[in-house]
Amino acid sequence: MNFPEIVIILSHLPILLAVVYTASIYRQLRPELKVFSWFIFFSGLIQFASLACWFARKNNMPLLHLYVAGGLLLIAWFYSTVLSGFISKKVIWSVALAFLLFTTINSLFIQPVHTFNSYALTIESVLIVILALFTFTFFYNNIVKETSGRDIKSLTWINSGLFVYYSSDLLIFYFGAIITQTLSTSLNQYTWVFHSFFSIVMYTCFIIGLWQRSKT
Amino acid sequence: MATIKDINFLYTIAPLAVIVFIIGLGVLLLNQHFQKNLANQRLKQEELKNIHQNDLLRTSIQVQEEERRSIAQDLHDELGSILSIMRMQLVLLEQQHSSLQTTRQLSEKAMAAIRSISHQLMPPQLEAFGLIKTLATVTSQINDSGQISIHLTTPSPITNLPWPVSLGLYRILMELINNTIKHADAKQINIDLTLNNDYLSCRYSDDGKGLPDNNHNIGLGHKGIEGRVSALDGKLEMGNCPTGGFYAIIELPVTKHQHAK
Repeated sequence: MNFPEIVIILSHLPILLAVVYTASIYRQLRPELKVFSWFIFFSGLIQFASLACWFARKNNMPLLHLYVAGGLLLIAWFYSTVLSGFISKKVIWSVALAFLLFTTINSLFIQPVHTFNSYALTIESVLIVILALFTFTFFYNNIVKETSGRDIKSLTWINSGLFVYYSSDLLIFYFGAIITQTLSTSLNQYTWVFHSFFSIVMYTCFIIGLWQRSKT
Repeated sequence: MATIKDINFLYTIAPLAVIVFIIGLGVLLLNQHFQKNLANQRLKQEELKNIHQNDLLRTSIQVQEEERRSIAQDLHDELGSILSIMRMQLVLLEQQHSSLQTTRQLSEKAMAAIRSISHQLMPPQLEAFGLIKTLATVTSQINDSGQISIHLTTPSPITNLPWPVSLGLYRILMELINNTIKHADAKQINIDLTLNNDYLSCRYSDDGKGLPDNNHNIGLGHKGIEGRVSALDGKLEMGNCPTGGFYAIIELPVTKHQHAK
């Protein structure tokens, strides 16, 4: 087992930690964090299934197609709950459903399920980066601080995690097609080390965010 | 196998620039949508605040009126009857000691003062005969004094006004009449009352000096009038008539207060 492989396997440790911790505190969570915990469970399930496929030397790309579609829907649900009352739910859900339609067409006709779905991943990352960047400015508003002040710290950590991971993902997946075509397999693996690093950062932010939740 | 140098710069960087632009545009659009919703939220908050303030004002006026009613009753029933007995005894004593005449006169003045204060606090005829008859009595009393002439016109019959509206308008008109007599140097006051659909409209005007030009700081009396109109969810317009003198137009909703006591 080489260094990149060790890093990729170790990057699943924060995921496991996040899933276990979220499950243990699920009942105490406020509605928006409860919604977010579904993303953690879903993401954890897909990541471990994908790791299992990797060990079994089976193509895990279909799982990625599922992760992109389901992940965005759950994150859209999370943001529509957090931004509720200030951003129309219709806006977020119509974008999410339009994306679902696109990713389905993409998986069926453009980038089949056994190939890397870089188009869908890029668009997913763009949408999440837009939502995350807007949410940072949203939390600075005084009326928002008054209405959801207690959980802003926790939600900011989660939002930061999503922003860091998806903005780095945007670059990795955007260049993904070029990387896989132009670089050698060993160098190709190092891009996944970067991806794993940002995944660790994201799940660490999630754990901190959940830890800092309002306990009253 | 192609090397990294072969990657076409334009094909790689230009779409990335487009992506960054899309992200910026997306955040901007969301922010605009948010600002629009925020303005609506602020309006809703202001509306709720106003409703709450009006409720507080209404409650405060109600408490004040209850207190006035209670003081008026106590003055009239308790202190008034004690003074009546005292006067009767003084009349008896006066037959034996003529020097008590002054004391008897003082007690009569005290009784008249108590009666007047108690009536000002809560006019008994307002509850018994309603707003229009009370206003007719009051204006006739003032007209009899010869100080000023008040014309009260009610073209349509106005009956069964809700108590908060009757009492509120009575207090407002008393304050306006008082102001005219004290400060306006006027000879005539006109009060027109009309009941249009669900609104009781009152137009008050005098031929006095009107409000001073630099009347930026309105007095306590005018603030009280504004407070009462606001508590009754009414509308108020005050100012100087083009021909001189002061005018006020008051509109109070009637059906809204129909079940209030």
